[in-house]
Amino acid sequence: MSTSAPEDNRSGFFAAAARGGKRPLLTVSNLSAYYGELRALFDVSFQVAAGEVLSIIGANGAGKSTLLKSIVGMMNRGKAAHIEGIIDFRGRRLDRLGTEKIVEAGVTMVPEGRRLFARLSVEDNLFAGAFAARCRQNAPKRLKEVYDLFPRLAARREQIVSQMSGGEQQMVAIGRALMSSPDVILFDELSLGLGPAVVDDVYRNVRRINERGVTCIVIEQDMKRALAVADHVLVMLEGRVVLEGRAGELSETQVTAAYFGSSVERRRA
Amino acid sequence: MTDEGLYWFVIDIANGFLTGTMIGGYYAIISIGLALTFGVMRLVNLAHGDMLIVAAYLASVILSILPVSPFASLIVVAPAMFALGYLLQRLLLNRVSVQAMEAKGLSPNFGLMSPILVTFGLGIFIAHGLLEMFSSDARQMRNSLAFTAIRLSEDLNISLLRLIFFVIAVVILVLLQLFLRRTHIGRAIRAASDDARIAPLMGISTAHVYGVALGISLAIAGAAGVMIGMLRSFQPFDGPQFLLIAFGVVIIGGLGSIAGSLVGGVLLGIVQVLAGTYFGPSAQLVAGYMLILLVLAFRPQGLFSR
Repeated sequence: MSTSAPEDNRSGFFAAAARGGKRPLLTVSNLSAYYGELRALFDVSFQVAAGEVLSIIGANGAGKSTLLKSIVGMMNRGKAAHIEGIIDFRGRRLDRLGTEKIVEAGVTMVPEGRRLFARLSVEDNLFAGAFAARCRQNAPKRLKEVYDLFPRLAARREQIVSQMSGGEQQMVAIGRALMSSPDVILFDELSLGLGPAVVDDVYRNVRRINERGVTCIVIEQDMKRALAVADHVLVMLEGRVVLEGRAGELSETQVTAAYFGSSVERRRA
Repeated sequence: MTDEGLYWFVIDIANGFLTGTMIGGYYAIISIGLALTFGVMRLVNLAHGDMLIVAAYLASVILSILPVSPFASLIVVAPAMFALGYLLQRLLLNRVSVQAMEAKGLSPNFGLMSPILVTFGLGIFIAHGLLEMFSSDARQMRNSLAFTAIRLSEDLNISLLRLIFFVIAVVILVLLQLFLRRTHIGRAIRAASDDARIAPLMGISTAHVYGVALGISLAIAGAAGVMIGMLRSFQPFDGPQFLLIAFGVVIIGGLGSIAGSLVGGVLLGIVQVLAGTYFGPSAQLVAGYMLILLVLAFRPQGLFSR
């Protein structure tokens, strides 16, 4: 991970974290992941500092989603899928925990395709997100914050989510993740199936969430957008990290080359 | 039709609807647990009927020690049945679930099939266990209400006990609905029912939630068992006949719908009473199955399913 501080005119949690000197919030070391016999990740290692936005870039099948699923414990499925390696979050070994314990610890994910509880209302979806024991007491307060962030959801709190537009559903999915008061949110393919204007909106919200001190890890197909939102970039190819650096220091050409596997500057994290 | 003929026709129909509706509440309580566990974890609990009989025996044992009202026995029976359901799910059924089969490297389809076989075996085990403990003599719970009737007109009565059961049934169904809608664990149950793979991302432990679901299912079966014991005598091998009623109600009302269970129970009750009135007692069962077949033929998802 680069130690040089990017230009930053924001204040608070983020600035302190970006200036370095803080120990990393999340450290992934030699992570490998398997679906049955099939190996999907090969010794992936990287660190995420508190308060930053990390973009993971890569083609289909590069292992981006598998990486996120591994972090939130969704690859711990016995013979169907398993991981090897260490995932450390504030000194706790996430690789040994089940998903619900990882969420309890403060790491959650907005899954690909949103995966809302289709038969539940907006408010029930949001409340479901606050199930972890440490979040239940604060649920009404968090709910108000989510409605402040997404006023459109407040007006439709009783609506069944399957009747809403894709953009609104994405708001519910993000709001639902926020309900668990996470320190880290992983966003898997945020813009999938959404129109460009809606995607702009979604990324503005990612920024706003990040400004409140939440560390964000984002998977995005659109390279320009991924670079624009990120402080820190990871490029993956065929289950390996092939390029890593600060967003401001990597050129688009470099990233493109790594993306297609033609880079001469391959660099292991 | 003569005036008297018309009078009796109206009385018969009114009786069919009134008594059928009362019976329907009782049927709904017998069935709701089966609908709940299928709705939440796709569990077809073939031991459901035997669980009703376990509850009836448990209540009758309590009453033989402490001569209180059968309703008071629920203070012990309902929590005991909840605990039994929770432990059964955590210690046995979660080990043969879709997720468990996947983790063992087997096809998830085994996870749909195995619980059916496991609960089938469990039902046999329970029935023989009860036979061993209590012999095959029929038991019942004596109570003063069984023969009390409320007179609505000269020729129209309803059984007080059935009316009480109907009221209890409606109260239980409303409480269950509120529980599922308003509480954290209730929302978690609905979330896990909707998408069990994503629910853990909300901090929801599906193993625990499934345990609670079977616990509630059996706690309500506890209430149903006490009702069965107050209405009629019961024997260790009576379970399957109640399982059939429960399947009928669930098919008619639609899976996973609480209101559907009540409507399904009431429809089945009305059809059975009317068939009994016009074609004799043996027609009751046939008419019930005809109704189930009609629903399966024309609205297989059930009347209340979305």
